[in-house]
Amino acid sequence: MMITNKFNFMKTLYLLFSILGMMGVVKADETKAREVLVALISSSSKSEEARYVEDLTELGDPIIANVVASWRVGEISYSKSQDKVYIVSGFETYEDLLTGAVISPAGDRAIDRPSRKLRKKLSRIVDFLDLKSPDLEKRMAASRKFGSSQKPEFIEVLREFEAKQDDPEVAAAFRESIAMSLLENGTRDERIQSVKLLGDTYVFAARDNIAKILKDASSGETVDEELVSSCKSALISIDGRQDLLDIVGTLFRGLSTGSVLLLVSYGLAITFGQMGVINMAHGEFIALGGYSVYLVQNYVLKHFGESSVMYEWYFVIALPIAFGVTALAGCLLEKGLIQFLYKRPLESLLATWAVSMIMQQALRLYFGAANVSVSSPEWLSGSYDFGGVMMSYNRIALIVFAIFVVIVTSLLLSKTNWGLHVRATMQNRQMASSLGVPSSRVNMLTFAFGSGLAGLAGAFIAQIGNVGPSMGQTYIVDSFMVVVVGGVGNLMGTAISSLGIGLVDQGLQPLLGPVMGKISVLFGIILFLQFRPGGIFPARSRSLDD
Amino acid sequence: MKKRSSILRYTLAVGVGAVLASQSLQAKESVKVGVLHSLSGTMAISETSLRDVLLFTFDEINANGGVLGKKIEPIVVDGASDWPLFAEKAEQLLVKDNVSVTFGCWTSVSRKSVLPVYEKHNSLLFYPVQYEGEEMSPNIFYTAEAVNQQAIPAVDFLLEEGYKKFYLIGTDYVYPQTTNLVLFEYLKSKGIPVQNIGGGLRKDSKGAVISAGNYTPFGHSDFQQIISEISKFAASGDACVINTINGDSNVPFFKEFAASGLKSEDCPVVSFSISEDEFRSLPSKDLVGHLGCWTYFMSIDSPTNKKFKADFQTWLTKTNVPGIVKEGRVTCSPMVLSYNGVYLWKAAVEKAGTFDPVKVMEALKSGVSFDGPGGTVTSQKNHHLTKTVYIGETLENGQFEVVETLKDVVGEPFLKGTFK
Repeated sequence: MMITNKFNFMKTLYLLFSILGMMGVVKADETKAREVLVALISSSSKSEEARYVEDLTELGDPIIANVVASWRVGEISYSKSQDKVYIVSGFETYEDLLTGAVISPAGDRAIDRPSRKLRKKLSRIVDFLDLKSPDLEKRMAASRKFGSSQKPEFIEVLREFEAKQDDPEVAAAFRESIAMSLLENGTRDERIQSVKLLGDTYVFAARDNIAKILKDASSGETVDEELVSSCKSALISIDGRQDLLDIVGTLFRGLSTGSVLLLVSYGLAITFGQMGVINMAHGEFIALGGYSVYLVQNYVLKHFGESSVMYEWYFVIALPIAFGVTALAGCLLEKGLIQFLYKRPLESLLATWAVSMIMQQALRLYFGAANVSVSSPEWLSGSYDFGGVMMSYNRIALIVFAIFVVIVTSLLLSKTNWGLHVRATMQNRQMASSLGVPSSRVNMLTFAFGSGLAGLAGAFIAQIGNVGPSMGQTYIVDSFMVVVVGGVGNLMGTAISSLGIGLVDQGLQPLLGPVMGKISVLFGIILFLQFRPGGIFPARSRSLDD
Repeated sequence: MKKRSSILRYTLAVGVGAVLASQSLQAKESVKVGVLHSLSGTMAISETSLRDVLLFTFDEINANGGVLGKKIEPIVVDGASDWPLFAEKAEQLLVKDNVSVTFGCWTSVSRKSVLPVYEKHNSLLFYPVQYEGEEMSPNIFYTAEAVNQQAIPAVDFLLEEGYKKFYLIGTDYVYPQTTNLVLFEYLKSKGIPVQNIGGGLRKDSKGAVISAGNYTPFGHSDFQQIISEISKFAASGDACVINTINGDSNVPFFKEFAASGLKSEDCPVVSFSISEDEFRSLPSKDLVGHLGCWTYFMSIDSPTNKKFKADFQTWLTKTNVPGIVKEGRVTCSPMVLSYNGVYLWKAAVEKAGTFDPVKVMEALKSGVSFDGPGGTVTSQKNHHLTKTVYIGETLENGQFEVVETLKDVVGEPFLKGTFK
């Protein structure tokens, strides 16, 4: 029963393919698609479900993809008494799926979800729809999926589709997919040609299959020389390309790890490096930034809903808030505690450590001991395919932002009046103040600025990692390490050392694994500081107490 | 510091409470029971829930007449996520407080730390959290999931679904290392070629595999490299990931996983350390369709489970034990296995007619049953349980939906080297 069902399903898909192939475009029949979807969602018997799925494959309307995506994440509900299916279309607004009209939903509605098997079938249908999607990326991804499945029935149709692609890149993707399938299903000559094509276009997904063909071909009674040699050269070409991609990927990942380090340590480079305050609560300022994003996210979710424009931009709104909140906290810390301790670094270490613990516990009491969940808006999710290297958007945003922070900070310090005051005060507090620089205000603002940068770092970390009361602990050691390696008192040194540490860390990981990689980096830093105790750019000073 | 003092206050309160209780009940009518979990430090997030559910169970039993006519008097101590301290606290429970039985430990390393103490005093410990096996102390009863009650059924399920490539990733300590080694042998015995098992292998000088899979340190937060490896691994299709990462490293892992465009329909992740409790801090919409395998899910639709959940929530609103979070509480497998443990102990005591740990262990070994929230559990001769195993897939609301149920799976701790 199962097998025949599956066979029928495949046959229908094939049928759909052929129809698409022959006629080019199927007339979009949205109303019919809605009817079938409603029937599918409200049906309770397995056999009915199977029939509706088959109906769907014959329809091929873009609405199917949208509904499937919503169904997956619990945005579809069903009311038994009204026999109506609702789809969430905005914040607390529901559409009747059948008509598309916004209605107020029945009280007995319950969230409906597709079963695991059904979801897989639906995902297949969506892939088919993607084959003619206006989004070229989707079209190529779908063709690759069908190629990778290596089912013989798809070859003909992929060929027909390939002939119709205007975009040379897309057509090439289809040809690769066909070749992928031919590796398994083609004749000897077709296989050799496919191997050559896949080798020439560096298709990594085909690597395992080619390696298998090579193994089979060279172990049999009669060795097929031509097949073996083409497989070998294809493997060499794919592996060569992959090595190159690995290097590019490692560079990107090193850059992004470096950017995280840079963001978390840049604030410290100002408060510790420039002002000489050992601020152990720096990590908690990072956590404060993370929680600010969490609060803004929750506020936006509660008042505007998840599909609103506001939600798309909540992160942008959260950035200045995170900066403001932590800058304010930094301000309070400076006024309340640190200003009394400028000449007593050891006491400031102990006092800020106490502050760090108080803040941690306060966060724990207010938000609970468990981590909180922060999700990314649409434009920060997913990744960009850079010729085979996946670069996720939130990492790209992180790198861009880190560069932005470095530029803005250096402009602020070198081009503004305030920056001049800051540099004067940091070099010699008494002298600056006797020359009329309002040094206590400058101190406060500089400390607030450094703390605000920590808050921004926390905001970005919320997009890629944990937000919890002890998240600061993870980063405090790293930040001090980066600042010391870069050379205390030198902002450029901090930037360079974070980039360097990030690159070395990511470069060593594939060779040694994450555990040994981390150990080697730390060991390397100890060695480095043995030979250059002042860091990359040691601070030079003529004052006697240095 | 503040945390310490609140714990101090708490232990004081419990102590005073215990004194008051023993005065009103008279010492004869109560039986002392130890609770040994981390209430501070990194593991507090998970272990505090077990303390809560244990106190709830004791209250439930006491309200129904206690054990052999005696009320249970809990002695709660804090292991503070400090493994040597666990041994000290166990010693204190056994020597100073003279408890009849202890319920406790979460991490395998804390269990290994207290094991000699329980063997020295010939007392009894119930251990409730899924673990790597390869251990059977005469003084420990493992209500936990053994590897064949969690990892193996999950892998079977994936094999049935047609997955052919398995990537192993975990945190670098005893549970993931041992489990992955067992899984490596198991996958090979099922005909999966070595090159289809991802994450890397480490061999000793004789060429025997001593470690399979990729490992990260505790608290690892940068998974870019690993995810890029997984994407490459999954490029040819039919691949899945077996995840034994522990603790909050799961958040950056899944965030990076989702960002790379991998979906559960293409490459599902089955996780062994994520239950409903851990799920609360994960971005659940990114996780739809990934898998978990436990012997209990909060979503199980049975009268026993409904009653358990309702009673626990009612108890939470009423309890006045300090430090218990009352809102947004979920129930998960380690909690239910703690609950089952107390009832199995009760049944064994009643069968043996005495609180003597040695006789109670004998009674447990002869087989006692309890109809718990996750189905009936029966104690076995090898100190493990026969129980129902559930495979669930994650939903966007942080719950699991059961996709497969395996009834009466016999717990088997020694698996290494058994798959050929």
